[in-house]
Amino acid sequence: MLAALAAVPVLIALAVRLSSRDPGPGQGPPFLDRVSQNGLFIALTGMVVSIPLFLPLTVSVAAGDTIAGEAGHGTLRYLLAAPAGRVRLLAVKYAAAVVFCLAAALSVATAGVLIGSALFDVGPITLLSGDTISVGESLLRLFLVACYVGLSLLGLAAIGLFISTLTEVPVGAMAATAVLAVVSQILDNLPQLEWLHPWLFSHHWLGFADLLRQPISWDSFAANGLLQGGYIVVFCGLAYSRFATKDVLS
Amino acid sequence: MSGALPATELAIETTGLTKRFGHQTAVDGIDLAVPHGSVFGFLGPNGSGKTTTIRVMLGLAAATSGYVRVLGQDMPASLRDVLPRVGALIEGPAFYPFLSGTANLQRFDTADRHASSATRRARVNQALDRVGLSHAAGKKVRAYSLGMKQRLGIANALLMPRELLVLDEPTNGLDPQGTREVRSLVRSLAAEGTTVFVSSHLLAEVEQICTHAAVMSAGKLVAQGTVDELRRVGLAHVKVQTPDTEDAGRVLQRLGLAPEPPHSNNDGGSTVRAPLADHTVAPESIVAALVAEGVRVRGFAVESSSLEDRFVALTGEGFDVVQ
Amino acid sequence: MTPVWKRWLPAAVVPAVIAGGAVLGAVQAGAATDLPDKTPQEVLEMVADSSVRSLSGTVEQTSELGLPQLPTDGPSAESDASSGVPSGVASALELLGGSHTARVYLDGHSQARVQVMDRLAERDVIRNGRDVWFYSSKQNAATHLILPEYSESEGHHSDKAWTPESLSEHFLSSVEPSTEVTVGSDSEVAGRAAYELVLTPDSSETLVGSVSIAVDSETGLPLSVDVQARGQDAPAFEVGFTELSLEAPSDDLFNFTPPPGATVTERVVEDHHAKHAQGDHGDRHQGDGKHDKDYTKYGSGWETVIGLPADEVPAELMDSPLIAETAQEVDGGRLLSSALVNVLVTDDGRAFAGSVPLERLQAAAEGR
Repeated sequence: MLAALAAVPVLIALAVRLSSRDPGPGQGPPFLDRVSQNGLFIALTGMVVSIPLFLPLTVSVAAGDTIAGEAGHGTLRYLLAAPAGRVRLLAVKYAAAVVFCLAAALSVATAGVLIGSALFDVGPITLLSGDTISVGESLLRLFLVACYVGLSLLGLAAIGLFISTLTEVPVGAMAATAVLAVVSQILDNLPQLEWLHPWLFSHHWLGFADLLRQPISWDSFAANGLLQGGYIVVFCGLAYSRFATKDVLS
Repeated sequence: MSGALPATELAIETTGLTKRFGHQTAVDGIDLAVPHGSVFGFLGPNGSGKTTTIRVMLGLAAATSGYVRVLGQDMPASLRDVLPRVGALIEGPAFYPFLSGTANLQRFDTADRHASSATRRARVNQALDRVGLSHAAGKKVRAYSLGMKQRLGIANALLMPRELLVLDEPTNGLDPQGTREVRSLVRSLAAEGTTVFVSSHLLAEVEQICTHAAVMSAGKLVAQGTVDELRRVGLAHVKVQTPDTEDAGRVLQRLGLAPEPPHSNNDGGSTVRAPLADHTVAPESIVAALVAEGVRVRGFAVESSSLEDRFVALTGEGFDVVQ
Repeated sequence: MTPVWKRWLPAAVVPAVIAGGAVLGAVQAGAATDLPDKTPQEVLEMVADSSVRSLSGTVEQTSELGLPQLPTDGPSAESDASSGVPSGVASALELLGGSHTARVYLDGHSQARVQVMDRLAERDVIRNGRDVWFYSSKQNAATHLILPEYSESEGHHSDKAWTPESLSEHFLSSVEPSTEVTVGSDSEVAGRAAYELVLTPDSSETLVGSVSIAVDSETGLPLSVDVQARGQDAPAFEVGFTELSLEAPSDDLFNFTPPPGATVTERVVEDHHAKHAQGDHGDRHQGDGKHDKDYTKYGSGWETVIGLPADEVPAELMDSPLIAETAQEVDGGRLLSSALVNVLVTDDGRAFAGSVPLERLQAAAEGR
């Protein structure tokens, strides 16, 4: 799955490299017009393109599989009989999902930087504010962006974990989680539901742009962290409530 | 290991154990008593509630009512202390198909907090060796046959020295050779002092290896005791091989027995069977009476009842099992 | 056996605790504000005396004007042309409607930077002495203005629409006999205790219900402005600091060099009346500066109506499908109605606008 994610920036880079015409400003995904001048932007374009679908999808697969996957294989009963302890198992599974979220975001960024530097020139990056920063700081900012995106996905992972405790069919849990990710983004785009927007877990997904301003605006990071923290607490709580007393019959 | 427990202690004890799924009662108030050190056969047709009982015993499912004590401690309250001392094969083996046999065992062993990681490799190899899977340890489980998976499942139950082994249908899918190996494995484990709880629908298996047995039918426990006790409850039969079936039948009737209709054998003779109720008539006097009447006795035998008769009597014949 | 509801307890408790904490926090925050009483006059003096010239803060603006939602800049980065709204009008309306967050940095009279933070994009205005830069990250285009000599001392007009200070100055200037000025209950803005100056128009012939200005209790700096429309519960227009620090921002912020690869347009300002819609940094409207010379003013105070002759009204305004859809047919023309402002475009092409009901616009159009 990480390889599939890494393929996103690679495909974008190849498409830009092979096309004869440079995209004009404001055309295509954000930052695309900068790519031919500076390969580092591939990582950002890849991130923007991956956030609405590819990243939530892979995270849904990883998180939906946590408990339901074990139940589907029948290995859940052996893990519990080992005994793994239900709370401990849940904690380990969520920790694995967290690691996956961060690894997913980092693999998009890393693949973007690598393919970008292989196919295009690399130089100082222009921030959204119009200021220019050195390559070293650019890489640091990209790392922060990857961390931000990884953090953004933790709420979704907690939801996936909860859904995963409800079923023994991993595909069902994965699909339900992915659907929720899409629904949340659609709701976030309906102006009639503006009161709901700050509570949607996908609300700050594109807020990593705040890390590309000068000076860095940490507001999004903090608001996003708080929001995701809330989702983690609520849905891990739900998952615990469900799983601690669930009859394991698979 | 067993020194901590008094000799009279039961390895598994349930009191009025009931498990309902919605309106369906899967286990209905059973009182199991599995003595320490026994090899306990848990018999019952498919769907009689054996596996559900085992799940509740191991804390995988919560009892609707009733109590379970395993190794002298309440379940599921003492789950954490009890389960490391229990090895289990529950409703068939289950593994990650994309991992090797060794990797699967190591993964399950990691899940057990009490299992030391330093000795993990050695213990895994030992368990694989014990079930004769060493040669296939590195193969992906996907490529295992049903019998190999079954052995791997038993190996998983043997990763640690256990006080109690719960084996649900352990010989399922094994060839006769494998079945015999499992039997001897169970015997050797029992000889080491491990209590073995074997659930099965195969009577011959239970009859051969178990000291104790219990019979489930439609969620209820219909019989329990040592295998000998269970057998004794059933009727013994006399079996007379003779060409003079009518005479033989008459003689038996005169002695107060109720002969069944004779059925012919392939050697030209026939067999007359009659239940031998509570040993009122001595078998030797029957032979004497038959010979005195001029019946040509070609063979005579007293058959004690098999567990199978008992089982069928308790649970119903063939597929017509009580649900 | 544990009842079924009990095992869901942890999941129910957590949101309850969060909600409880939030309510408690809000109550405490409200209770913490208790300032010595002041008369409106004293508060106004505080504002006049305010000597804050250096600050960095975050300003948030929200509007509930009842205008149609314009396509905002999403990640798809649609160009404005595709929405059928002329770019200049669109960006002006876009800045007025909806919600925006901007960071404001001020240092003295001649150094200022405003960053309008859009989704995945940013629009910057940087002023350093006589140099003013506009930068739009989406277009990757920069516009450079050199201000005429005298504006050096004139304060920061480029960010007029944005600091609460400049907005409240405008409102305070319209404090006149027609307005009732009171001091409302103390409030808290951007973590600072503030006096609430409430301006209520006496006239019923205006759409404005009231204007509240929060004034920092320490420095007299206006912190937020809320405009309440008549008969609406939520403020129709709100702009205020959410974060504020009175320390001088770093000098680096005001040094702007256009990034490599950006399109740079150089412009020289001769006329200090030149106005630039903040969102419109492009070069499309070169020489637009004469617009504001030809209007006619009717009425005064809250009831002021501005009239524009037909040749000054951009033709494409009513032609754009989005606006045409929203405008309603009324006697003598078409009406664009919002919570705070009504605009009447007469059949002969003239336009009249004001914070007044339709009848007054019609009266102005008929020359009454």
